[in-house]
Amino acid sequence: MSIWNYVVTAHKPTNVTHSRVGNFTSPQDLNLIIAKCTRIEIHLLTPQGLQPMLDVPIYGRIATLELFRSHGEAQDFLFIATERYKFCVLQWDSETSELVTRAMGDVSDRIGRATDNGQIGIIDPDCRLIGLHLYDGLFKVIPFDNRGQLKEAFNIRLEELQVLDIKFLYGCSKPTIVVLYQDNKDARHAKTYEVSLKDKDFVEGPWSQNNLDNGADLLIPVPPPLCGVLIIGEETIVYCSANAFKAIPIRPSITKAYGRVDPDGSRYLLGDHTGLLSLLVITHEKEKVTGLKIEPLGETSIASTISYLDNAFVYIGSSYGDSQLIKLNQQPDAKGSYVEVLERYVNLGPIVDFCVVDLERQGQGQVVTCSGAYKDGSLRVVRNGIGINEQASVELQGIKGMWSLRSSTDDLFDTFLVVSFISETRILAMNLEDELEETEIEGFCSQVTSSSVRLVSSTTRELRNEWHAPSGYSINVATANATQVLLATGGGHLVYLEIGDGILQEIKHAQLEYEISCLDINPIGENPNHSHLAAVGMWTDISVRIFSLPELNLITKEPLGGEIIPRSVLLCAFEGISYLLCALGDGHLLNFLLNTSTGELTDRKKVSLGTQPITLRTFSSKNTTHVFAASDRPTVIYSSNKKLLYSNVNLKEVSHMCPFNSAAFPDSLAIAKEGELTIGTIDDIQKLHIRSIPLGEHARRICHQEQSRTFAICSLKYIPSAEEPETHFVRLLDDQTFEFISTYPLDTYEYGCFIISCSFSDDSNVYYCVGTAYVLPEENEPSKGRILVFAVEDGKLQLIAEKETKGAVYCLNAFNGKLLAAINQKIQLYKWVLRDDGTHELQSECGHHGHILALYVQTRGDFIVVGDLMKSISLLIYKHEEGAIEERARDYNANWMSAVEILDDDIYLGAENSFNLFTVRKNSEGATDEERGRLEVVGEYHLGEFINRFRHGSLVMRLPDSEVGQIPTVIFGTINGVIGVIASLPHDQYVFLEKLQSSLRKVIKGVGGLSHEQWRSFSNDKKTVEARNFLDGDLIESFLDLNRSKMDEVSQAVGVSVEELCKRVEELTRLH
Amino acid sequence: MDSGLGNWPSYDPHNFSQLRTSDPSRSSKMAPATYHPTHNRVVPPADQVINTEAKHILLREIYRRAEEKIDLIAATSPLQLTPKRAASDNLTPEHGSKQPRVST
Repeated sequence: MSIWNYVVTAHKPTNVTHSRVGNFTSPQDLNLIIAKCTRIEIHLLTPQGLQPMLDVPIYGRIATLELFRSHGEAQDFLFIATERYKFCVLQWDSETSELVTRAMGDVSDRIGRATDNGQIGIIDPDCRLIGLHLYDGLFKVIPFDNRGQLKEAFNIRLEELQVLDIKFLYGCSKPTIVVLYQDNKDARHAKTYEVSLKDKDFVEGPWSQNNLDNGADLLIPVPPPLCGVLIIGEETIVYCSANAFKAIPIRPSITKAYGRVDPDGSRYLLGDHTGLLSLLVITHEKEKVTGLKIEPLGETSIASTISYLDNAFVYIGSSYGDSQLIKLNQQPDAKGSYVEVLERYVNLGPIVDFCVVDLERQGQGQVVTCSGAYKDGSLRVVRNGIGINEQASVELQGIKGMWSLRSSTDDLFDTFLVVSFISETRILAMNLEDELEETEIEGFCSQVTSSSVRLVSSTTRELRNEWHAPSGYSINVATANATQVLLATGGGHLVYLEIGDGILQEIKHAQLEYEISCLDINPIGENPNHSHLAAVGMWTDISVRIFSLPELNLITKEPLGGEIIPRSVLLCAFEGISYLLCALGDGHLLNFLLNTSTGELTDRKKVSLGTQPITLRTFSSKNTTHVFAASDRPTVIYSSNKKLLYSNVNLKEVSHMCPFNSAAFPDSLAIAKEGELTIGTIDDIQKLHIRSIPLGEHARRICHQEQSRTFAICSLKYIPSAEEPETHFVRLLDDQTFEFISTYPLDTYEYGCFIISCSFSDDSNVYYCVGTAYVLPEENEPSKGRILVFAVEDGKLQLIAEKETKGAVYCLNAFNGKLLAAINQKIQLYKWVLRDDGTHELQSECGHHGHILALYVQTRGDFIVVGDLMKSISLLIYKHEEGAIEERARDYNANWMSAVEILDDDIYLGAENSFNLFTVRKNSEGATDEERGRLEVVGEYHLGEFINRFRHGSLVMRLPDSEVGQIPTVIFGTINGVIGVIASLPHDQYVFLEKLQSSLRKVIKGVGGLSHEQWRSFSNDKKTVEARNFLDGDLIESFLDLNRSKMDEVSQAVGVSVEELCKRVEELTRLH
Repeated sequence: MDSGLGNWPSYDPHNFSQLRTSDPSRSSKMAPATYHPTHNRVVPPADQVINTEAKHILLREIYRRAEEKIDLIAATSPLQLTPKRAASDNLTPEHGSKQPRVST
């Protein structure tokens, strides 16, 4: 790999942190706005449900998000503040469908201690000011003037240092906040302050309440007419206002989220840490609160945000499981639940660990993640590309073409499969046993041989009509639809026939100057049986031409350039847009926008699909038309949001394809592969496929063992009633069914920390090795752990050996036929020793001290790369002769690591806990020991995501002869559920893409005026420096989303044609 | 309203009325288009680029106290156009003897 890296998102963040409902896109629209850490999604409430409108990338990690209505406005504005202290106010311009920035700014202070409990951003209900609590002891105010414009911000000293929550109170003549805080004796209190904008200071508020619930953590301001505030604790809920105080006890629970139901604030939905949804009711008489009531409703995902939508529908946003759309029913179901889950929105977060495996043995990696937490824990199998689920197959050599036929045009299903070979045509049909067998034709079809076109009747099976090619010329290519035939013979003759009632009639003939290589008359107009355009690909002048039908007048001639002839052309329409696709003999595909009335071709784009000639065919799946490109790298071409997308089909090589919708195999495709004909159904047409395996417990580590075809996981289950509510397990799962097949419970207080599959020298067996830690309540750092060695015997985990350690085993690696463990501050090497009684044991060989906590270890040959809790990356070497591990070099920065990986012999990749990525390089050529002892930082980048794991591998099938296939990649998984790819580029490609990136920065602007350059700058507590040697693939690939004029702008700035840019960027999208 | 359930707010009775309840074990797959602004209104009006006032909170406090002091002196000064107040009993000596140094 190299130091020039390209970082791109394969799966976007799915962890929902905030949600709000309001009239954002128009005064009449009711919108749900969702924040997924670095992205915002705008949805519209419709009769059909939640309709996604827009996915908005934000150049920052969203810390707070609020919708508010400024004075005199008919629509809500969106306020967003980021963790790096930027904020913006966005407005939707419904005329242009654009997000407009009304205001933005920087609210950082030069000095200040960031709050421990996260940032707070709130807006006065009367829209007089925005309040921010970003640093301990300070409350920042951004005042509005009376026209709704923001004014210069100022700070107010806030005496309370341990703030838990701040909210604005409703119905106050002066803006008033209520502060929930903890004093230095750990008691919790609430206090109110009026904000005096004139004096820029607080004035004592109307009331305060001391000695609240010790677990009080959340304030809910109550709107008029009741006003006041609800204080949610772990054992009580309190209503407080200047003149009332009501309290009720609740079942012990930690409330994570709330959503107001009624505009008058009399009912609230509360979601707790176990996923229980409750309804809190404020009972009142004549605008006076008389009491509180709480009622459990049912179970949802563990909520991080709750938004009441409309008509009893509620959105549950989750960080720990899938987000949900639920309905609140009036009557309980059989289980006593009032909650009905209607939709789930996939969330992979938090990805705690993952592995890359090739379960279907197709030469393609799949990612299996440990996702979710607590009861919502699951494994997710993430696969790129479209799968074909094989239903039947026969051995057939030399297939040259395939068509499916129905017995009659009115039939719902196809009955026959016409397979043509060089010298014969065979008809296959489904028999009663649902087997494919050869049969005689009973269809009504046209057959084209080298000398004639034959029209064959259905009932009589006889030849009804035949059209003969002029003598001396043979038919080279032909195409047909239900009523038309277009064919080309040698000598450049183009002949147009129409199929009448049993008659083939030559309508028109044209003589072209060169030979014809391919044809298409797929109807894309209003008539599904008739086309008024024909596409023709030419030899010699390498062009594609559009002719009108039936006149055969040349309308458009488009030279393709280059020397590769077009091998397949296709007229098609996606989402109401007509295209001409033209596949070349070298695996490239050109696409043009086709104006169906003028025949004009515009917006030419080129992509590389494979290296062999491509055959294009349309098919439909779920009532949508797609195109199948058969080649050495079969691809499905489809359209999403009016953009053409290319998704790999998970098959090695396909020569021909045709849709085959038979009664036994509905919605299937017939696929001709090398020497084989397969009938199979196709997956949903999308790029990533995610399969969910709910565990009901929290998986923390996963690894796969090829030999036993199993996965092993370290997991924990919460049993609230038990004496020790957390129990940890090592579990064995079948790698096909994902069922638990064996379980090894760990001791009380014992945590499973790491798991690997490995083998040892002089022992042919393969083992699972598990590292554990005893996490005792009285210890700050574990002082005891174990290494457990398991074998899989008869599908069961058998404990073969165990070794006690003097600390937590954070990491294990197979290393030179031995086992390398990271135990607290030490790296320890164990050898596998045969005892006299024939059993094995782990015996300590050597170790290396000198870390704070050695958390992440990777090895390569004799080199060991250690990621430390707070001392960045160090490089160790194992010396065989001396049997010792020594430090070779280290990075002297104080990075708090979250993952490390070795890119190549000299370059190591690290992720740290301020959401940055960096690379360091070994300096073997350094002149002095001091220089050689330093790992030089060569790349820095702000990802904005917390990475838990790197793994070498690829999500896509790698073809050795494709350019992209040569690019090594590392996959990463993050807390927000992002799966990303880091690709190491050759230097020239890096330089080219860097230029493209800087041009794109000028064209694609940051939403809210936020700067891309600042966003990607490496930044932690100690320093902020510009990103280097990393490229933002998400920005680069968004080039493909631009309209033509913006593409031209970028193309001019870069000095490369749009076509070439599209091709090169499209290639990069095929990395993930 | 005994149980508190029911009578849920409705803003538009049509919303969700035609929701097709797909199998909830299958997840919803509709992906919205990604927004890439290329227009110039991502930059807010010049007066709406907000920063925190440069004056530190401590300095502001010191100035404010100084101003309060001036106000107090002004209130007790003979140059005041309003009728002179009687010297208050609790006026501390230094207030009486010091002259304002800072003009504003």
